[in-house]
Amino acid sequence: MKIIMDGKEVAAEYGQTIFEVARKNGIYIPTLCHVPGLEPAAMCRICTVELTENRRTRLVTSCNYPLRQDAEIHTDTPRLRDGRKLIIELLATRCPDRQVLKELGERYGADLHRFPADDKDCIMCGLCARVCERVGANVLTLSGRGVEITVSTFMGRVVSHCIGCGACAQICPVNAIRIEDRDGYRSVILKGKEASRILLRTCTTCGRSFGPVIDLAPVLERAGEPGVPAFHASVCPACSRRNHAKRILERHFEPYDAAIQSFVDEGRRF
Amino acid sequence: MTSISPAPDLSWTRKLSRPEDLAAYRNQLIAEQHPDATRILVCCGTGCKALGALDLLAAMKKAVTDANLDVKVAPLVKRTGCHSFCSRGPLLAIQPQDIFYQKLKPSDAAEIVQETIIGGKLIPRFLYKPPGAKHPIEKRSEIPFFAAQTRVVLERVGQIDPFDIRDAIAWGAYNGLVKVLTEMKPKEVIEEMKISKLRGRGGAGFPAGLKWESCARQPGRHYVICNGDEGDPGAFMDASLMEGDPHAVLEGMAIAAYAIGSDRGFIYVRMEYPLAVQTLSNAIRQAEDLGLLGQNILGTGFNFKVSVSTGAGAFVCGESSALMSSLEGKVGRPRPKYIRSTEKGFRDSPSNLNNVETYANVPKIILNGGAWYASMGTERSAGTKVFSLTGNVNNVGLIEVPMGTSLRHIVYDIGGGIPNRKELKAVQTGGPSGGCIPIPKKFLDINVGFGKLAEIGSIMGSGGMIVMDENTCMVEVSRYFIHFLVEESCGQCTPCREGLTQMERILTRITRGEGQEGDIELLEEIGTFTNSFSLCGLGTSAANPVLSTIRYFREEYEEHIRDKKCRAGVCKALYYLEIQPDACTGCGVCKKRCPAKAVTGEKKEPHLIRQDLCIKCMECYRNCKFDAIAIR
Repeated sequence: MKIIMDGKEVAAEYGQTIFEVARKNGIYIPTLCHVPGLEPAAMCRICTVELTENRRTRLVTSCNYPLRQDAEIHTDTPRLRDGRKLIIELLATRCPDRQVLKELGERYGADLHRFPADDKDCIMCGLCARVCERVGANVLTLSGRGVEITVSTFMGRVVSHCIGCGACAQICPVNAIRIEDRDGYRSVILKGKEASRILLRTCTTCGRSFGPVIDLAPVLERAGEPGVPAFHASVCPACSRRNHAKRILERHFEPYDAAIQSFVDEGRRF
Repeated sequence: MTSISPAPDLSWTRKLSRPEDLAAYRNQLIAEQHPDATRILVCCGTGCKALGALDLLAAMKKAVTDANLDVKVAPLVKRTGCHSFCSRGPLLAIQPQDIFYQKLKPSDAAEIVQETIIGGKLIPRFLYKPPGAKHPIEKRSEIPFFAAQTRVVLERVGQIDPFDIRDAIAWGAYNGLVKVLTEMKPKEVIEEMKISKLRGRGGAGFPAGLKWESCARQPGRHYVICNGDEGDPGAFMDASLMEGDPHAVLEGMAIAAYAIGSDRGFIYVRMEYPLAVQTLSNAIRQAEDLGLLGQNILGTGFNFKVSVSTGAGAFVCGESSALMSSLEGKVGRPRPKYIRSTEKGFRDSPSNLNNVETYANVPKIILNGGAWYASMGTERSAGTKVFSLTGNVNNVGLIEVPMGTSLRHIVYDIGGGIPNRKELKAVQTGGPSGGCIPIPKKFLDINVGFGKLAEIGSIMGSGGMIVMDENTCMVEVSRYFIHFLVEESCGQCTPCREGLTQMERILTRITRGEGQEGDIELLEEIGTFTNSFSLCGLGTSAANPVLSTIRYFREEYEEHIRDKKCRAGVCKALYYLEIQPDACTGCGVCKKRCPAKAVTGEKKEPHLIRQDLCIKCMECYRNCKFDAIAIR
């Protein structure tokens, strides 16, 4: 399999995607909706490249195109640059002031205010929904269709089967998702609205809230390790560390302390 | 509406357990029918049904019973599928006398029985009279709308009772299946399909034989899927086929299953086609009762089970991968995968997906040979194609013509021309993914086929054909289609979701008279971009209506933007109505019709329209007998 990318031959394994091969060979292809480890969704289309296979040239998305035969790929032609520019400009109607779009816009000469802005804060990359499915929680999903498509929970309800892992907030490229711990509950906040609400554990020592009370079984099953005992801590990590340190002191140092003290006392007597 | 229990009980019939049994059963059925029996075929397709065809059917049945006919053979009143002349419904045909009655009411039934069936006389007012002609046409086969067609796929539609498999068998249904089961190997079936050069009728035109071959080559369990999710505005070909002759589709699927080695099939029909769902489900049950589908078909050991699955009304589910997702019970969104569904489709198994019409062609090809089929049509587009002819044309209906027929033949000979002395402006083909072909310029004699239409910036699509007259605004047409697609886009990918939204905004702006310089260029930029960067077939063809109208009607866009004028009189902000004093006779029709009381003037004097009151409802324009009202 002979793969030529931007004029030079690169090493590639059968079935690898164009995006993987490009990353491995230090060739930059922009993306907004793909991270390694998650199934590619080819939603943002910004990673589109020009591919020539069997003397036929066409545009394909690099994140999900598996290389299976000799191919020539161009990752940065004028046509692609124009398309990417327009994608950024169109996405900017949803949220013009986000860093990731500003950076890409600069790179491709996009005018982020070319089209009138809409009141949406998300670029619909779908990463949150995919990562949520991947961790096994299945709380967030894409619902609706067309312009109305949104990230939402089942029927838009405030759900209680969230595991509060925060992967959605962490993966979101435009910081549209927040995790909030308040009054003993953890919530995922979508567009200012509570999407999930789960109980947090209260530390038996200090009384502060820490990690969520969750049923880990489905997650562990998904991770391929069913049967691992669930997490039953009742003390927060900080208190736990403090208690542990105290125990070490009591068990190992205090007897010596006493011995040393008595030794010192005895020395004084002399 | 009268409800009639349509399906006869067949549970008493014995299962046909050998291939020879079908021919024997068919001969028995034909012998049961008297050759001289008068058959009254009442169209109960969706169009006629909406106009009260079921009441007409009941009235005809009652009239025949009441008449207490003193004849040897009682006339047979039959419920059939679409007769295809939809603009003339409710209608019926009387065979073998070859009579065609149209625009009927249930109250006409008794008269028809008395005069025509008993008296043997024609009733002139029910006969079809072509626009402008003096005398009605007496024979059904002489009506140009029927005479100019070549009916291959539609042969049985309108002739048989879609709810009675016996009728279909008497007309030769399932003979093709018997032929492949007894005489042909799967490989030979595929070879025959390749010889026929049949190309997929869903729109893309992929050769069916090649698709079957590549699917058959894959290991694993195979599925046969039929795409009946016809969602184009103004298209009803697949609906009429499924409603009129469900057995042709089932037989085609069974043959495909035999060829690719499958034992399971699905028909995906949109929920908005309740009649099609009914006829198909009933046809499957009856075919299974007779042993023509299901386990051990005709004792040959070949199994094929078919189920009907209904979609929830999403246009995008007509796209193959979205259809399969929907069939699996998932959200109907196209899959972002560069893998053919013949390799990994439904449940990640090799799946063969074809359109309703494609499958309906298969039995004919098997029976008559691939060479016979290839001899029809053109070199690159073989066979016939069903079109639904709608819009500003006299004869609205379902037509079947060989590929390569000219648009002139379709619009003028079959369609009967444009009503109300209007000029033909354009023909829109291929639904929302297609384009508008400007007619007066040069394309009236273009031959309709896959390649030719693509060349001039449209597509064949599944066969929708909308005829547009001079009162159609091309900017509004493209706005309409883009609006439709914005609503129906799945919303997954950026170009389709955001690009179409922006295009709709710009087009709406133009039609409101707020167009700006540079809008046309912007539309072209976004249009070419969405067409090349989108994920699925919907997105990559979504901008076609805009691009093709800009290509051929650019001056109309420019008029909208620069002169703030809509020459067709559609965009309300961009025209006004004026009475031409020299043409106006002062008859007062416009004054009487005007709901806003904007027309003033004395009788026999030229009238005037007060622009401050006019709401541009076009009522005066449509009703003026002297063409005195002009769009300015």
